[in-house]
Amino acid sequence: MRSKLPDAASSRKMAASSAVVAILASIWLCSSIAADASGSSSETTMHTNNWAVLVCTSRFWFNYRHMANTLSLYRTVKRLGIPDERIILMLADDMACNSRNKYPAQVFNNENHWLNLYGDNVEVDYRGYEVTVENFLRVLTGRHESAVPRSKRLLSDEGSHILLYMTGHGGDEFLKFQDSEELQSHDLADAVKQMKEKHRFKELLIMVDTCQAATLFNQLHSPGVLAIASSMKGENSYSHHLDSDVGVSVVDRFTFYTLAFFERLNMYDNASLSRLFNSYDPNLLMSNAYYRTDLYQPNLQEVPVTNFFGSVMETVHTDSAYRAFPQKNTPRETRIRTGNTAEDDSRRSILTDMTKAECPFTRIVSSLESKMETVGNLDSLVNYGLVMILPVLVVSVWLST
Amino acid sequence: MPTANTEEENSKSELQKNHGGGGGFTRWAVVAVIFRLALIYFPGNLNLSSRPEVSTPLTSIRRLAEGYWLKQSSMSPYAGSMYHGSPLLLSVLGPLTVKSLVFVLADLISSILIRATGRKLQIAYRKSLKSLNLLNKSTDSGALSSGDIAALVYLWNPFTIVACVGLSTSPVENLFTILTLYGAATGLAPLAAFGWVMATHLSLYPAILIIPVILLLGYGPDAPPSKLFRSKEHGKVGDGKSSQEIIFSWRRVFHLLVWTSLWSVYVLVLCSISVKQHGSLQEMFQRTYGFILTVEDLSPNIGVLWYFFAEVFDFFRDFFLIVFHSNILFMILPLAIRLKHRPCFLAFVYIAISSMLKSYPSVGDSALYLGLLGLFLDELADMQFSFFLFCGYVGVSLLSPVMHNLWIWRGTGNANFYYATAMAYACFQIVLVVESVSSMLNHDRKLTKLSTSKLQK
Repeated sequence: MRSKLPDAASSRKMAASSAVVAILASIWLCSSIAADASGSSSETTMHTNNWAVLVCTSRFWFNYRHMANTLSLYRTVKRLGIPDERIILMLADDMACNSRNKYPAQVFNNENHWLNLYGDNVEVDYRGYEVTVENFLRVLTGRHESAVPRSKRLLSDEGSHILLYMTGHGGDEFLKFQDSEELQSHDLADAVKQMKEKHRFKELLIMVDTCQAATLFNQLHSPGVLAIASSMKGENSYSHHLDSDVGVSVVDRFTFYTLAFFERLNMYDNASLSRLFNSYDPNLLMSNAYYRTDLYQPNLQEVPVTNFFGSVMETVHTDSAYRAFPQKNTPRETRIRTGNTAEDDSRRSILTDMTKAECPFTRIVSSLESKMETVGNLDSLVNYGLVMILPVLVVSVWLST
Repeated sequence: MPTANTEEENSKSELQKNHGGGGGFTRWAVVAVIFRLALIYFPGNLNLSSRPEVSTPLTSIRRLAEGYWLKQSSMSPYAGSMYHGSPLLLSVLGPLTVKSLVFVLADLISSILIRATGRKLQIAYRKSLKSLNLLNKSTDSGALSSGDIAALVYLWNPFTIVACVGLSTSPVENLFTILTLYGAATGLAPLAAFGWVMATHLSLYPAILIIPVILLLGYGPDAPPSKLFRSKEHGKVGDGKSSQEIIFSWRRVFHLLVWTSLWSVYVLVLCSISVKQHGSLQEMFQRTYGFILTVEDLSPNIGVLWYFFAEVFDFFRDFFLIVFHSNILFMILPLAIRLKHRPCFLAFVYIAISSMLKSYPSVGDSALYLGLLGLFLDELADMQFSFFLFCGYVGVSLLSPVMHNLWIWRGTGNANFYYATAMAYACFQIVLVVESVSSMLNHDRKLTKLSTSKLQK
């Protein structure tokens, strides 16, 4: 009896320890798999669509230039291919139909008045007093009330590239909304983190044109986020020029030079983001444009600007119509096939040896099918069959009388 | 049986007296063909092939052209849900640039076959009347026999002309149905089998004609009820006349079944070769028969299904599909029991019911049964409401395009206007079927009364 107890105890201990080891191993395995999954998900999801959220946060007539900034970027983004359904345009005030506007229903970003930004098809999603910090954060995180229409929602998914452009008055780690409330850098970082958790973007480019804009990014930690600001801490962002006809400054420097870069592009150019970021001259901007790439994996020199500012999709041309999924593996298949023809022949001979063992009916059917394939034109066979109907019919009728 | 032979010769000679009628038929047939050709080559655009009354998703020539183009572009002709017909029809009609002449030819052959069927029916009618001693000079018809009248009605029916000029495939379907009836009436089992297999292959509904075809081959053409002959047999004692006992010929029915299976295997093999490259036989069945049975396309037509299935909830859709299709199926057995001694008329009633209740009816289907109605003019002479029905048909065929125009093109009407004319059309068809069946049964009762009164004399 005594000898049994230690054995039982030791066996129980061994069982317990092996169970603990097994549990730990499974936990480690699961966590590694989960980490792999989450880590590789952003690399394996495809970039499927582009969104743009363009926010102008200032009211009042003398902030005309912020409106013009946002509308210029709206026009650029639309020109390069993003449709209105995937643009959320938030304008805090109405400059085009402002009673102080000498040119009603027209907004210019240059004193030569060459371009009317408020053209025929501007779709403003949030206007006037709807541009609040709460609505902005609701748009980013997607937590709306049920009555909010789809046109006011950011309906992005895990394959989306989002451009977030904000302009207005800002300062050290804040951005002023409507002259009455602030968006802080914590709020923005929280919203971006929520977006990442909910898989609402694959890559996010935040572009901010305010004073001391770079401080707004201080709290950002989510991967896949690229941020560029017009000025660093302690610097102001300046307007570009004053339009004496309209009476106010019409564009900010940072946005002006951004637009100058984009006006030279069309949809098919593959100018890279590094070219854009390096195009900002501190002397011309009168501030240092700062960009933050530590959260962004891909090399900036390989990322085309149209990944964020336009909507250029890769189309796969197939000859087969009306089929749901194109054959993605065909190039690889053909390569493999051309490589191993000798092995294929030997394999085929083995298969033909095997078919001799099948039942005679399937053998007949398969031999008929192979003969039909060698006939070449099946249509002529069908026509021959159709023509044969008539004599067969005549003969059968004659036989039955 | 020398007496039987002389009877047949007498009836044949009587019919040959109407040979002037034969010349009349030929003349009118030629004029009908010329009229169709004139309408086809009319310089203006009659736009008949886009009318909903003429072209349904099953019979439209544009869909056939689309299916042919898809086949030429190395795709399955059923891709994209445009073409829902037979692949053999694609091989025949697709390459032709003068498709219209095919339809004119189909109409002409159909009319010739109707005439021949009518002749056979009239011979049988006279023979049966003579055997009952009811034949007298008054039963001699006028200048044209019922077969000629039926054939001319078929040729000159505005519905047929519109279906032919509008290039719908109904004339071809009608040709095969009439070929079935002709083959069955003349006792040629292979011909009847071929016609039945092709008609079922092209449009599903002629499948129910297997019953009248079996009855035609078994019992022979239409005759008064068999009890009349048996009572006559009992009445005349010691008479040397042979009994006209109608026995069911199982041999012919067996031939029919054998030839049906042969032809259907042949057609299936041809179809499978035709669709092998880019599709499968199962896809063909799904897109042709499945399309007919599930009523996928709800564009307006002169039938009564589209409006209903546009409104029914998805939960009940299958149930109502079964209800609508069994509406045709439930009528098969009672009619077969009641009219088994008149299989040709039974076929007419089946065709009329299926033309009314099928998924995608068109005027070509109505043309078929209106033409076959003419075959029974002798029996249906006392049909009630004939003028009412004639006016009703004329009124509906004039109002229906007007309502369609009001709804679709002008926008001042709505679907109810058009569906009201469709329902009125269905009502008139129902009245026609009911009245024709009742007058046929009245005719049989009259014959019974006359023969029993003659027996009692």
